[in-house]
Order: sequence, then structure tokens, then C-alpha cells
Amino acid sequence: MKGKRVDKRLIEGALRKFLEDEQHLVLGFEKAENRVKHRLFKKNLQDYSLFNPYFSVNGAIYLRRLFSKGTKIILMLRPCEIRAYGELTKLSQIERESIIGVSVDCFGAVSLKNDVQDIPTEVDALKDYFDGTDSMRWPCTVCRERKGVVGDAGIRVDTKGSLLVFPYTERGEEFLSLFDDGYEANGAEMLIKTKDKVESFQSDMETFSKDISKCIMCMNCRDMCPVCYCIDCVFNGDDYLPKGDALLNKVFRSGSAMLPQGRELFHFIRMYHVSQTCVGCGACEEACPQGVPLTKYFKGISERLQGMFSYMAGRNFDESIPYLTFIEEELKDAED
Amino acid sequence: MTEEKKDKNPEIVGFACSFCSFKASEMAGSLRMKYPEGVKLIQVPCSSRVDPAFVIKAIFEGADGVFVAGCHPGDCHFIKGNYYTRRKIAALKEMFNAFSIKNKIRLFWVSASEARRFVEKVSNMYNEIKEAKT
Ligand code: SF4
Ligand code: SF4
Ligand code: SF4
Repeated sequence: MKGKRVDKRLIEGALRKFLEDEQHLVLGFEKAENRVKHRLFKKNLQDYSLFNPYFSVNGAIYLRRLFSKGTKIILMLRPCEIRAYGELTKLSQIERESIIGVSVDCFGAVSLKNDVQDIPTEVDALKDYFDGTDSMRWPCTVCRERKGVVGDAGIRVDTKGSLLVFPYTERGEEFLSLFDDGYEANGAEMLIKTKDKVESFQSDMETFSKDISKCIMCMNCRDMCPVCYCIDCVFNGDDYLPKGDALLNKVFRSGSAMLPQGRELFHFIRMYHVSQTCVGCGACEEACPQGVPLTKYFKGISERLQGMFSYMAGRNFDESIPYLTFIEEELKDAED
Repeated sequence: MTEEKKDKNPEIVGFACSFCSFKASEMAGSLRMKYPEGVKLIQVPCSSRVDPAFVIKAIFEGADGVFVAGCHPGDCHFIKGNYYTRRKIAALKEMFNAFSIKNKIRLFWVSASEARRFVEKVSNMYNEIKEAKT
């Protein structure tokens, strides 16, 4: 694949060139006091950081709040964020037209729940940091999609620690054309590798109930999930977890009623609803005040259910979400 | 599921497409064929109207099993609704399988004229679940 060997200075130069236009924005990372955060840059790129070793939210969640009327945006995000953005475009939640999505190789990240500060943000130090520590958050340790190979373009790191830019689509070519300098690069060996495939997820109701017994139904996990996009969530009304009249009606109709606690119900339904679009980012787990091990279930189930259709959320922007399409001759086993 | 059931007679909720499977159940009635009382039918305009959330809710509110019944592939009144149903329910089954509760869910294709097939399908499901309960 044809790409360019660049460096940090050249990447920032390219983004600055893009930002010369008043209507252009970059969504990426900013170095703030002892950590790194998401930031939307306009005109200047102050304190820009290419890598972000801290995970607070999945950046794709911001896109649902951005209506890019006449504005062009470059996303410089982690692979799990670009993949979530891809799924949202397939669901017509985001207009892809004015967005260039660039996935940046990811070394993993730490949870903000741990008190970790001053993690390096430059390639060499960063890779050594994660090699020599066990403070990486669990969802990142099991992430097999850390490579910057999704979206319109990717920024990748080779084994020598140099940066490379690769275009994947026409818009990616447009991104590449922002770089005046840099050498042409083919076939370098990359630092971030795909991990082996793991066994398919298996559990049972007892373990599951035990794991989620601390859930207080605050629904932060839902609200912070980048691909849980419904405005009218079934759990916002009184149908699924009844209260008031709906609950009394139920009691009078059936003689008695379970008081709505519904943790299992909530997580089961949410798990199914995101089963084809979940990117395994672990933003749900990060958002949970109770420390419920959500990624284990959400990632496990979604990998299993996506696997049925040889699908992987966000891998390919032109691939349809399995529930939105079908093949006539398939899944005979599912018929009873 | 959270409520302990004392009796051994299963309760089964079935979502039946109004153009075929539900018609078949009506015909079974008019032909005086019998199927277990514990089977409660919910009429839906097309099997693809069944959001798996309905199935999950029925199970968590105490149903011992749930089935979704639609027209045979190719015969959908809305042309391709049941193909989407098959994908959705197949995936739901896979999820139930991952939690070791696969037995609780079925997918049937029953056309309007197949009253006997309808009775057989639901009775078999009922009996299997009843056996598993005892
Ligand atoms: S989930 Fe994967 S891509 Fe996302 S931050 Fe963690 S390692 Fe990086
Ligand atoms: S369910 Fe959790 S892991 Fe999956 S996309 Fe949503 S936040 Fe990320
Ligand atoms: S964020 Fe945690 S406590 Fe809140 S609903 Fe989700 S799992 Fe439950």
C-alpha cells in the first residue's frame, strides 16, 4: 500500500494547513494538565497530541452532538472511536459527507478510575510504558483492533517507531495531499499487531446475575455508549420498567408484580441492541460508578453475534450491519 | 426468570404473524384441534415486528419459553420481513446460547393453511419445556 513516512511535525503541519479554512475543524486530543483529553480544534492546534493513553469516553459520542453544516471535520482518533463513527454513519446518525476519519495506531489506555498521571504521549516512551506496566484498562488488554487500518486514512507506527500515513479511501487521499513532504513508504513492518483470536464467549445466568448485582440502574453505561443511539430508549418509558399507574395496572391485572429492578432485563436488551455495532471500547465500563465488568459481556456477546455473519463492527464502512440485510439461503439451523 | 414458579405447567408466549401463523391458530381452533392452554398468542402484523426486546421481556417476566412464528421464507406478506426475522432471532438464539438458556426460544414458519403443523410445533415446544422443568 502506498503511504508516506512522516513525523509528528509533519502531521501537525498538515492539520494546520487544513485548519487555515475558517470552516474546518479537527477533532483530536489535547495535552492538558497531567492528562490528555478530547478537543475540537479550530484555526490553531495548541497542545495537540497524536496519542491518548487515557480513556474517558469514546470520541464518537461527540459526533452525535455535532451538526457539521458546511463544516468539514478531520477526526484524529483511536481505532475503536473511528469504528464507532463508522457504525453510526451506517445507521444514518452522522453525515459522512463532510468528515475525514483517520484512525491512529493505539498502544492501549489506562482507566481514569485509577489514579495514574503523567503517562508519556510520544511513541518510544509510550510503548515502553505499556510494556512495563499492568495499569492498562481491561478492555484495552483484550482489544484486537488497535491497528489504524479503519476509516478514510490511518496513521501507523512501524517497528522502528517512525510514523506512516496511509490513505484507504478517496477522502483519505485528500488527507494525504495535505502532506507536502515525507517519503513514499511501502511495506514497513508495523509495531501494533493483531492479537490471536480468543475462544467464543460463554457464561450462564448465575454468573451474570452475580457480576451485575452491584448495578444501580443509573444507565450511565447506556448514555456513554457511542453506538447506543436511540433517542427514545425503551427504558425511558414505563413499558419495560413500569412505575406509577403502569405498575398498579400490572398488579391489578395479574394479582402481583415484580417490583421493577430489571438489571438483567436492561442489560440483556441493551446487549442485544448493540450486538452488531458494539466496538468493544469499554466506554460503558468506564462510565459505570459501580465497577460492573460490562465489557466482558458486551464485547463477548457482540463478538459472538457478529461472528455469525462474519461481520466486525466498523471494520469496513461499506459493509451493511447484519440486521439491516439478509441472504435468502442461510441460517437454516435457526428454524425449528 | 427472577420469580420462582411453583407449578410445573409451562407458560409460553408466542408472537404470531397475523397473515399466516395466527390464521393457522384460528383454523386449528375452528377444526377443534387442541394445543396446551399455557400457550398465549400475541398477534403481530409481521414476524419482523418482533423486536427481540419483546422476547427478552417476556422471558424475564416469567415466561418459560417464547416462540416467534411467521410465514415460510419467500411467502411474507411484506415480501422479505421474515428474512430479517430469521437473522434477528438466530442472533438472539446465539445470545441465549452464550448464557446457557437456549431452550427457551423457538422460531417457526407456519402458513395460514397449516393448522396441524402449528399445533404440532407449539405442543412439542410445550412438552419439551415441561419435561425440562420436572
Ligand atoms: S479499546 Fe482498543 S482501540 Fe480503543 S483505546 Fe483500547 S486498545 Fe485502543
Ligand atoms: S457496549 Fe460498551 S464496549 Fe460496546 S460500544 Fe458500547 S460502550 Fe463500547
Ligand atoms: S453504569 Fe453501572 S450501575 Fe449504572 S446502569 Fe450501567 S451497569 Fe448499572
